[in-house]
Amino acid sequence: MKERYFTTFQLILLALFAALIVVAKIALKTPLQMSGHSGLFWMALIIIAGGLVPRPGATSLVGLTSGILAAFLGMGDFGALETLISYTAVGVGTDLALLLLRNLDNLAVCALAGVIGHLGKFIVKWALGAVTGAPLGFVALGLARSFLNYIIFGALGGLLAGLTLKALRRAGFFAYLEERR
Amino acid sequence: MSQRIRIVIAVGIIALIGAAILGLEALRARPSPSAAAGPGPTVAPGAAPIYLDGRLIASFAPVDLEKLTKVSFTDAAEGKLQDGWRLSDILQLHVAEPLPDTAQITVSSSSRQKSVQLTWAEVAEPANMVMFDVSNRGTLKLVSTMSKLDDRDEWIQDADRIEIVTRIQ
Repeated sequence: MKERYFTTFQLILLALFAALIVVAKIALKTPLQMSGHSGLFWMALIIIAGGLVPRPGATSLVGLTSGILAAFLGMGDFGALETLISYTAVGVGTDLALLLLRNLDNLAVCALAGVIGHLGKFIVKWALGAVTGAPLGFVALGLARSFLNYIIFGALGGLLAGLTLKALRRAGFFAYLEERR
Repeated sequence: MSQRIRIVIAVGIIALIGAAILGLEALRARPSPSAAAGPGPTVAPGAAPIYLDGRLIASFAPVDLEKLTKVSFTDAAEGKLQDGWRLSDILQLHVAEPLPDTAQITVSSSSRQKSVQLTWAEVAEPANMVMFDVSNRGTLKLVSTMSKLDDRDEWIQDADRIEIVTRIQ
């Protein structure tokens, strides 16, 4: 029988992470009042998903699934399409970063993957703003700062994921996953 | 390819993305030749114009707002801190004559196709906190504690035009 790309167990894991991303976005509010701060939680979750299911396309699938869930819940400023695209972009960006960087044992790699994935969302938000003709007069005040915030919170989310993956490895969770395959 | 080279490439990609976005925004913000100065005030690219009875009287840019005192409040709908500048302070900076309480002020967003109409009495009332917050994308968002402007669906995100009508027919 032809082996499936993702096992049922992996798909359940990825769906769980997609749901966790949406829950984190709704429930985990930090008092930071800074753009991109939610990346701390969802980049951590998406990179942990990429670490637990180390196959190209895994984080894209998490991004797409969480985007569909978030769009149905009416999240986001620009409507359902923007929500779907921006969540998916986070997943695709992380996937591309993981294809390049590969080794999630390295905390620097986790941080960089977090940054690149999070910038996927930033690019979508910026591009949609530019396409819809959003005013740009306050860009000097906000865009560069937003870009920096996305980098910082993406990196912090990636680091959090790296530390979590290390803890899971020490706890024998990866051995358990191998048994489930 | 070694891990170090991969990391350097990733850092390069991040720098390239940043340079591309900020560079494209700078290009978008350049004035077009057709916007060459004529008589009267002109609107700089990205600045928000203010019209008084159909006549362009001024436009404002971030640098103008830095002169004003910042105010803030936490909105009841999302518990989010709204931090920025009062609309009344901005108008008083640019409109020479005092406005009557009944003057109608319309703040609109062309990209969102949203607008809100307020009276000067509502705008000038400090308790209403009619103010602009800078959104995540660096554009202006009109918010207030008033019931018609107190949740996300009612906020005027990406506001780019202010019209004042004093002569109500």
